[in-house]
Amino acid sequence: MISFDHVSEGPMRDLSFDLVAGTRAKAIYDSDERRNVFFAVITGLRRPAKGSVKWDGKDIYALEESGRLTLFQRIGIVPADGGLISNLKAWENVMLPAWYHRGIAPLQAERKVIDLFRQLGLTEAGLQRQMGRLPDQLTMYEKRAVALVRAMLMEPDILLYDSLFTGLDRESSNQFLSVTGEYHEKKAGRISLYLCADDAVSARLTTDQTITLAH
Amino acid sequence: MSLATIIPGRIGRVVLNVADYWQGFSELLFYVLRRLRALGRPPVRLVLQKQIYFTGIEALGAVTAIAMLSGIVITTQVTSLVGQNIALTAKIMLWTVVRELGPLLSAIVIIARSSSATASELANMKIRGEIDNLRLLGISPGDYLVVPRVAGITLSVVAVTFYFQMTAIVTGYAFASLTGNLPFVTSLSGILSTLSMTEVTVSLFKALVFGLVISITSCYYGLRASGSITAVPRAATGAVMRNLITVFLLNGIISYVFFI
Repeated sequence: MISFDHVSEGPMRDLSFDLVAGTRAKAIYDSDERRNVFFAVITGLRRPAKGSVKWDGKDIYALEESGRLTLFQRIGIVPADGGLISNLKAWENVMLPAWYHRGIAPLQAERKVIDLFRQLGLTEAGLQRQMGRLPDQLTMYEKRAVALVRAMLMEPDILLYDSLFTGLDRESSNQFLSVTGEYHEKKAGRISLYLCADDAVSARLTTDQTITLAH
Repeated sequence: MSLATIIPGRIGRVVLNVADYWQGFSELLFYVLRRLRALGRPPVRLVLQKQIYFTGIEALGAVTAIAMLSGIVITTQVTSLVGQNIALTAKIMLWTVVRELGPLLSAIVIIARSSSATASELANMKIRGEIDNLRLLGISPGDYLVVPRVAGITLSVVAVTFYFQMTAIVTGYAFASLTGNLPFVTSLSGILSTLSMTEVTVSLFKALVFGLVISITSCYYGLRASGSITAVPRAATGAVMRNLITVFLLNGIISYVFFI
């Protein structure tokens, strides 16, 4: 469960919501500033002036660094810019958390990774070209696709998507919509939270709960 | 502002910077020593291997050239001074190459290549938010970025130092033999009989200390970068200058403690 209890920070005022197990929710923002603050607060990168943020009943800001790192192993985060490590190739970025935490060697996960990318419309030939590239050589769609597959490999209980559809064409957005929707259903009790701009794509996104960040 | 305020202000800033550095250095050193078991994770070992390759293997060309030239210059100067005195030549070679120049010149090559590269790489990652990205993956930046770099650079400095000393001595004596000043095999035997375990241990201890200083200082300057992209070259130059000063200072201290 994710719980925001009267959180105030920057342009965000007295925000409260609870996301229980199995919820698919969207948080609609009207400005980049609100989006950045919300993302930083919910991921423990920026302590709010007021209120508490809890993941599974634990106040994220009361946890030690080691506690937060353990928590984040169960959370899949897809940042707007992909959140990739610049000195690692795309393939190395995909495999990093699964290899680091679960000891899943790159060769072991190859088939699964190819299948996941195929669902996102990337062919094996295209993959061969892209996986050897550094993040700065990838398009925004490719970066987010790498970040998404990286998160999905960990089989997280909670997924947070930051502006997943922003700046993409309709076909790419629909692919992400479809894949993330199916992925949400695959594990009972999974929470999926989309941080979206107030646009046509977020309007098409069907969720159990809508959080409005605009005040 | 008058000189009466400017000079103390500048001195104060220098003192505070040095204190800040040593505090940060100590924290990182103790962190690395506590978290060496992070090297057990395969992705961390991969970073370690890449670091050893970049710092050690790729530096061998430059180290070989400098070692050969240093060996030739030293034996030429020594033999011109003392003639065909094998025992005295061996002692001087030991004092200069094994005790001092081997560790020092190896450290300088590593500082020039790896210190600036490591500091700027980490500074770049810090500014681009990649350190936070690692945390969001549940990966400790200290375990994944710092520990393998410190271990890799330190091991490389020790290995490169040993290689430098061997190359300088063998090349120096080979050149002296070619020019007719000294017999090659007899001279090498002379140095081996003069060489004590203390000399070897202290020179490798110096290399170990230099390796730790270079690696931790580079990581320290890289990770404290903040603000704009101009912080990257500042981190690189800061790391290089701090490393040069610290290495020379520690070289003097260690030599004084063990050899005087």
